Amino acid sequence: MTAEQFFFYAFAAMTVASAAMVITVRNPVYAVLSLVLTFVASAGLWLLLEAEFLAIALVLVYVGAVMVLFLFVVMMLDINLARLKEGFIRYLPLGVAVAVAMALMMALVVGPEHFGLERVPAPERHGPEYSNTEALGRVLYTVYVYPFEIASVILTVAIVAAIALTLRRRPHTKYQNPDEQIAVRREDRVRLVSMKPERRE
Amino acid sequence: MLEHYLPVVIFLVVGLGVGVVMISLGFVMGRRRPDAEKLSPYECGFEAFEDSRMKFDVRYYLVAILFIIFDLEIAFLFPWAVVLEDIGLFGFLAMVLFLGILVIGFIYEWKKGALEWE
Amino acid sequence: MISLSHYLVLGAILFSLSVAGIFLNRKNMIVLLMSIELMLLSVNMNFIAFSHFLGDTAGQVFVFFILTVAAAEAAIGLAILVVLFRNRRTINVGDLDALKG
Repeated sequence: MTAEQFFFYAFAAMTVASAAMVITVRNPVYAVLSLVLTFVASAGLWLLLEAEFLAIALVLVYVGAVMVLFLFVVMMLDINLARLKEGFIRYLPLGVAVAVAMALMMALVVGPEHFGLERVPAPERHGPEYSNTEALGRVLYTVYVYPFEIASVILTVAIVAAIALTLRRRPHTKYQNPDEQIAVRREDRVRLVSMKPERRE
Repeated sequence: MLEHYLPVVIFLVVGLGVGVVMISLGFVMGRRRPDAEKLSPYECGFEAFEDSRMKFDVRYYLVAILFIIFDLEIAFLFPWAVVLEDIGLFGFLAMVLFLGILVIGFIYEWKKGALEWE
Repeated sequence: MISLSHYLVLGAILFSLSVAGIFLNRKNMIVLLMSIELMLLSVNMNFIAFSHFLGDTAGQVFVFFILTVAAAEAAIGLAILVVLFRNRRTINVGDLDALKG
């Protein structure tokens, strides 16, 4: 067994095991953490496939940001776990049957007789001077410039949608304005009135 | 090329080893005599009021979303910075347009007060 | 040696697992969203495997865009989830029957 095979099977086993945990564990916090492990293991597989930049981007963007967002939401909602799990046992046989059938069918299509090493030989590995980031950048900003600009539109839409949906002003909150507090002068607060002394009756 | 990742593998193995050894040593050597009182949550003399999982404020969520968007923007900037000499003025202008569109979203969130923590 | 079909079968297994996740957790909207993320990951796995074995960078560009769209989708989907929970106090898919005739 070569080192490449060893790491492929190790990462693949980690990916499949943690993906199975995502869909079966009871507590959503554990599900999110298992999904993080799935992403990290797939990043390892992508390194084997010489997609170094995307492997790092997956860890940065997904593990660093998206999964943290999921964790926030899970912690933000106090949910009734028991009610959400109902139907799990009832649909377990059907779900497993569908999953196994789908996996077998797809495995027949993509099996070794169609995509094996004889059909698609393994490419020559690049030397140390090859930079995956450069190869990606050379096409991303020239050939794919139109999708690239659309990506920024999608990101802007995500900003606007998230703010429009979740931002809520509380009109009755009272808060201090230190700026005005410091800028206040004596004349704004105290009024000196000169008046005649009055005699008590 | 793959042999260049040997330090990363060593790092992974050492990290995993240290974690596993420490937890299993504590598990094997620690003395455990649990009873109902020890396992119950402790809240200074009275019965626990609520679940230990505290609810977060929604405003954290908004900050996290805005972080994701700008995280992706940075991810798009990395390959651009590496190949800027090759793609020339066209690539530069493509990124200017990209950032310009995102600045519109940024101005929106600024004006809406999403960055303020009232 | 690891062939292309190894990676494709792995992607197929991941995809089937996420389909099973949608079947099993049909009440919990958060796990449904996570299953969708898992599906996108398996698609990305296929894209990158083909990109490597065919020597074409276009597959990796696609994966980059899928990552972008998936992050935006997760952000908006979770925002909708938060608003839903604020209004209905539940994320149980079975309780969301306001449009039922």
